Amino acid sequence: MRGRPNLFTSYEEEMRLFPTTTKRVMLVVALVLAVLLPLGQLPGLRFLGDSDWLIIIDRALIFGIAALGLNLLTGVSGQVSLGHSFFMAVGAYTAVVLGADAGRTVWGLGLPMWIWLPAAGIVAAVLGILVAPTAVRVRGLYLAFVTLGLVFIGLHLWRSVEAVAGKPGTGRPWPALELALWKGDPIISFASAGPWFGIELSAQAKSYFFFLFLLIVFALLAKNLMRTRPGRAWAAIRDRDIAAEVMGVNMFRWKTQAFAVSSFYAGVAGALFAAFLGRVIPESWDLLLAVEFIAIILIGGAGTITGTLLGTVFVVLTPRIVEAVTFWMAEELANQGTFAWLADLFIRKSPDDLLGFVSTDAAGPGLSIFQLNVVLFGVLIIVFLIAEPLGLYGIWIRVRNYWKGWPFTY
Amino acid sequence: MTTTMERRGTPDLSGAFPTVAYRVREWAEKDPDRVAMREKDFGVWQEITWGAFWDRVLTAAHGLLALGVRPGDVVSIHSEDRPEWVILDIATVAIRAITTGLYPTNPSAEVEYLLNDSGAKVHLAEDQEQVDKVLDLGPDAFPVLEKILYVEPRGIRSYDDPRLMYWNEFLELGRRHREEHPGAVEELMAQAEPDDVMTLVYTSGTTGPPKGAMLTNANAAFCMEKIINSPGRTADGVLPNPSDEVLTYLPLCHVAERIFSTWTMCSNGVRLNFAESIETVQANLREVQPTLFFAVPRIWEKIHATIHIKLEDATPFKRLVAALGLRLAAIIGRDRAAHGGDFTWKSRLAYWIGNPLFFRALKERIGLRHCRWAGSGAAPIAPEVLEFFMGLGVPVYELYGMTENSAVATCNFAHRVKLGTVGEPYPGIGLRIDEETGEIQTKHPGNFKGYWNKPEATKETFTEDGWLKTGDVGLWVDGTHVKIVDRIKHIIITSGGKNISPSEIENALKTSPYIKEAMVIGDGRKYLTALIGIEYDTVGNWALRRGIPYTTYRDLSEKPEVIELIQKVVDETNEKFSRVEQIKKFRLLPKELDHEDGELTATQKLKRKAMEEMFRDLVESMY
Repeated sequence: MRGRPNLFTSYEEEMRLFPTTTKRVMLVVALVLAVLLPLGQLPGLRFLGDSDWLIIIDRALIFGIAALGLNLLTGVSGQVSLGHSFFMAVGAYTAVVLGADAGRTVWGLGLPMWIWLPAAGIVAAVLGILVAPTAVRVRGLYLAFVTLGLVFIGLHLWRSVEAVAGKPGTGRPWPALELALWKGDPIISFASAGPWFGIELSAQAKSYFFFLFLLIVFALLAKNLMRTRPGRAWAAIRDRDIAAEVMGVNMFRWKTQAFAVSSFYAGVAGALFAAFLGRVIPESWDLLLAVEFIAIILIGGAGTITGTLLGTVFVVLTPRIVEAVTFWMAEELANQGTFAWLADLFIRKSPDDLLGFVSTDAAGPGLSIFQLNVVLFGVLIIVFLIAEPLGLYGIWIRVRNYWKGWPFTY
Repeated sequence: MTTTMERRGTPDLSGAFPTVAYRVREWAEKDPDRVAMREKDFGVWQEITWGAFWDRVLTAAHGLLALGVRPGDVVSIHSEDRPEWVILDIATVAIRAITTGLYPTNPSAEVEYLLNDSGAKVHLAEDQEQVDKVLDLGPDAFPVLEKILYVEPRGIRSYDDPRLMYWNEFLELGRRHREEHPGAVEELMAQAEPDDVMTLVYTSGTTGPPKGAMLTNANAAFCMEKIINSPGRTADGVLPNPSDEVLTYLPLCHVAERIFSTWTMCSNGVRLNFAESIETVQANLREVQPTLFFAVPRIWEKIHATIHIKLEDATPFKRLVAALGLRLAAIIGRDRAAHGGDFTWKSRLAYWIGNPLFFRALKERIGLRHCRWAGSGAAPIAPEVLEFFMGLGVPVYELYGMTENSAVATCNFAHRVKLGTVGEPYPGIGLRIDEETGEIQTKHPGNFKGYWNKPEATKETFTEDGWLKTGDVGLWVDGTHVKIVDRIKHIIITSGGKNISPSEIENALKTSPYIKEAMVIGDGRKYLTALIGIEYDTVGNWALRRGIPYTTYRDLSEKPEVIELIQKVVDETNEKFSRVEQIKKFRLLPKELDHEDGELTATQKLKRKAMEEMFRDLVESMY
């Protein structure tokens, strides 16, 4: 209702995705910025168009899809899962078996992407459905353990079935990201540089558009699931499963669906991830990867789409930023720049340095950048769980409510 | 939703008297698909179009005919505001019968009195609570009553009183009657006379038992002409029209809500939005953001208090902005009050600064952002409260009237506002102030027909030359505006022989957010005292912030800190009055006043006599 944002005359009106003009305008602006980004035209942030940054951003887009799936399972329906990396691996290996060419020791059917990408999701979803009955029986910490088991079973499988996963330590090549009708030349290739509509684009920029499109589709799908019947059923289960069952929410059905949908997201993301990197070793699908997704939804804000996306960007980009900052500090120290004193506190120069604790090279004294990142995530998860359980999204909500409540506080 | 109205075979009503029913039918014919009213149900504002509205009215009117209601019979309605209230009201008028409304808070004993006094034949009791008030009195308590309709079946399904009938069943009955006797209702509508009584509005009865004032079709038409369609009311001169939103929340049995909701809707096609209940008014206001809004002083005081409490509870930066904004509002309010309610360049400038920072958001939060005309009436209000809202840019105008003259008396017109007065008489009506008694008297076509079955009382209400005695003492201000001193019977004469109007002092006290009720006492005494009831929410909040523990209303009232707080308010108020008008002592009431306990009337007015009886000990302890 014009000028009356709180007057709802139907439920459809109340559930609209973009209810106000402001939100619609913001959406268009965000889309325009998203298109400018890979072209290196984003004002003030032109460097994001460089291919080393684009690789990380592409990775964030793929992780975003996987995180949306985990968010539906853990954030919305409250089923803590540590097995997300397992389902990603299932998707990735489905893709490689269907899409890659057969080798001497490995299987492969060489099918086009429009077959292997959906199949990756479907096979993962079927496995999710197989796991779901356990989730109906156990909950909370116990479910976390069950799914943790999956990761280790998976790691063992990928290492032992070389016909699927390739040799441990080297893996095998994945099919390229390209759309073809059948096994012939691709119609659109996301894996090689070339012009689109007269604009010269790198392979990373092309993949970026492809991933962005998929992410938007998956995000809208997730949002629609959340605001309709499945979402309400999941939220009811999350808030109090016994009460939900008393109200007539079929526990078995909805938990199974949650696992199926979440695994589908993971499968597709796994296939994209492997195909984007080109070659993945079996050991990659480990617990650390699964924990990274838990970190994403906890830091971003469990149970929300915006939070999940914020968390993904944060978790994927932070290591790169930490790295950049560390190298910049080392440089300051070497050149005795303005901030050398700060860098001096931070960087460990020799084994007998008492204050500094970070070292720029992996073999050097102190924490490596990689270790620093792991520590940082651990600390962040603790801080967020204690201080801001709704994550980055919660911070945003508080900022928004401050202005929404103006001039009152409540 | 498409209209189900059948044009074929509808009798021609041109030339019939434009009753409220006639007007609804006109709107439904003109624009059947436009939304006429909204009611919040299951969290969503469900819409009813004019076509559907008229269709239901017609069916309900046939239902009444089927139940044996004939012209001149009485139909009573005991319900919160809801579409069924209006539908049954209009349907009753359509068949030339008489509607009377009961306050939802009316206890069983008053229901018995009102139903028997009016001789209601059909009674609508909203839900189990209201049905029980009738059934509890036994089967023989109501000799005339034939049917009890109910809208909310919860809890009533197992009742077996033969008089009970579910609303949908009633409509079904009406539908069958409509098929068998098409045009029967229209036939009666065509026969409507200006002199037909359309409604009985019971007086609140601060002293004796309530009396039913008879208002006729002509009274209503005059009221619509004078009050609703007076172009000078709004600052822009635009009359109420179909693009206006109205929130219906005060009891519809009171003449004020009837005028500003039902009658404004019938005559000008505004859209009604039914609030869920009186408790949710502030939330509903925020959702609906009405463009026309009428409230009684109690509501204005409540909004005023809420704003202050919420601002005090805000975070430091917001408090700072609020302090600034309120100071600007005070400047604007004072300036506008001095210029007939209009902006001068000075207040306009202050408003431009304050609006984006503070006023606009604040008005949005209280639900008056789109409000283009707001009224206060039915009881006296402190000018400070009006000035405050004026400062925020909410155009509140005080008006005056009473049931017996269809509320047509005086009104503050835009550009000519005088705070502290109730405005100027409507153009072309007879209004005089009696030289001897100072009583305000009116004479115009809005004067009522008389009290229902009380010819004696009716005679007493009119002077020998046919003027209606309002019972209010008034003064001319500058020869144009009327200032109400008080009800004649409320005027206090102290033992020193001074005439004092208690309501002015009471209202000044009630400006404080901490005071909800105040009753000044002093008739025949040496000095004035007061019984004061605290506002539980705000004083509770105040105590909480100071770490004063309390359990109940009574406990809170007895806290020495609270008494000190109220003493401060009383002292501040005393400064505004002359020595004889100052409150020397006061006592805090040990309980919240309530209609059902007989301390207040249904319209929340003090029953002074009853109060003095009930709190005799408290009163005597002050002398």
